[in-house]
Amino acid sequence: MKLNYSLITRRTFLNTLFGGWLVAFFSGTFYALLRFAFPTLGKEPDFVVLNKKDFLNLANNTIKRFPWGGTVGLYFTKADGSVIALKGVCSHMECNVDYKPAEKRFYCACHQGWFDENGKNISGPPPKPLEIFVISAVGAKLIIAKKGVKVELPKA
Amino acid sequence: MNYPRLKDWLDERYDWEGIKRLAKSKLIPEHRYDLWYYTGGITLFLFILQFVTGMLMSLYYVPHIDFAHKSIIEIVTKLNMGWFFRSLHHWGAQLCIAFLFIHLFGTLLLKSYRKPREMVWVSGFILLGISIFFGLSGYLLLWDESDFAATRVATGGAGAFPVIGWFIKAFLRGSMDVTGDTLLRFYAFHVAILPILTLGLIGVHILLVQYHGMSVPLSLGTEKQKEVPFFPNVFYKDLSIWLVVMGVLVTLAVLLPPEIAPKADPLAPPPENIKPEWYFLFLLQTLKLFPGEILGLNGETIAILLVACAILFFFLIPFFDKKSSRGEKSPLFTWIGVIYLLYFLTMTVVGFLS
Repeated sequence: MKLNYSLITRRTFLNTLFGGWLVAFFSGTFYALLRFAFPTLGKEPDFVVLNKKDFLNLANNTIKRFPWGGTVGLYFTKADGSVIALKGVCSHMECNVDYKPAEKRFYCACHQGWFDENGKNISGPPPKPLEIFVISAVGAKLIIAKKGVKVELPKA
Repeated sequence: MNYPRLKDWLDERYDWEGIKRLAKSKLIPEHRYDLWYYTGGITLFLFILQFVTGMLMSLYYVPHIDFAHKSIIEIVTKLNMGWFFRSLHHWGAQLCIAFLFIHLFGTLLLKSYRKPREMVWVSGFILLGISIFFGLSGYLLLWDESDFAATRVATGGAGAFPVIGWFIKAFLRGSMDVTGDTLLRFYAFHVAILPILTLGLIGVHILLVQYHGMSVPLSLGTEKQKEVPFFPNVFYKDLSIWLVVMGVLVTLAVLLPPEIAPKADPLAPPPENIKPEWYFLFLLQTLKLFPGEILGLNGETIAILLVACAILFFFLIPFFDKKSSRGEKSPLFTWIGVIYLLYFLTMTVVGFLS
């Protein structure tokens, strides 16, 4: 079948072809660049394994820090001798918190946030409590895990 | 000085006389607000100094978490004049940002952004954003405990942005937390990506200013202003002012070399009374105004959204201010400008004192 007239002009056809080609080329390039520039992210650990002997006989009302992925965890011996572990990162803007033994509170210096002995946010901007971890002991190891995480140690 | 052969050499190849004529034809209006014209030039001068001092330090700086802090201490303690150039780079950055803000608010209040100069405003505004990112990325390169906390807060704050926040945060950090990957990334931004963008944008900004000529404030009416040639009158004034700025800068650099805090430790809490760089204080104070939760929503997200809207409006002022684009007086936008300026100044001062 031969059309008597053309639906599009030769110019429109070529412009669309080259325009489309340019768009495809640059979006592909840009996507590839972005994919490369965007990091392959690590993941926050579900649990960490520590040596139990490092955490024995700690003085009451003190903290001991341990690495939690790229940030910090706190092994906290309360004034009454009981022990909890929590994430030492403020729930507001991710600064590390410090323990103030005199006030028996956790303090974030970045924006003056306060948390009580159990990690509950009590004053300042923090919107949420500090994250509490579960402590368990396996042989000579101390395992500190996120709540609700099933710990599976690799077979030695 | 007269080199006739050099002159001939140039004349035979380039339209030397034409270039001279063009330079002579550049005229600058002279009026009671013309001091504001120099703020852009001062910023340019400071940018040039930052490039030079930055290049010098890049000869010795090592962008790795184990060596970064040590290499800066070596620059300031062991290298000839190292302390001076590092101090100059620090104070140059401070003055540069300060003059950018002065230049910005001068342009805003004199309404030099109005038609046909919208794109001058746009390119300048992007340059301000880049400069602030220059400040943030350069600060982390010290890898000391203050800038470590500052970077966590700044990138974490960007992460509170709805929908795309996580993307920006991960892109900036290069990992989940502020780590060695972040240091390397900020180094790349600071010494490669941002400088190239800056050079291009400064080129555009200055070309546009040449194309449009200097803006004359609306309040001076429509009558023709007295004009003076750029070469040599204004050019010499520019140079003299740059010399004064250089004097101030060197004085600050010599008398008040910046401190280097202890090396960053991801396990340690930040130092007491930690404060961000002064140009982030107004943001910090704004965030402090918001409670952690508003009607069940994250207060931080709301604060960041509001700040982003306020900055976007600021950026688009030339397109909203229809009156001044028609050449009429526009008191509403003068007031808006004054409010922005007062807010910025008050919050910065409050942040500084608190």
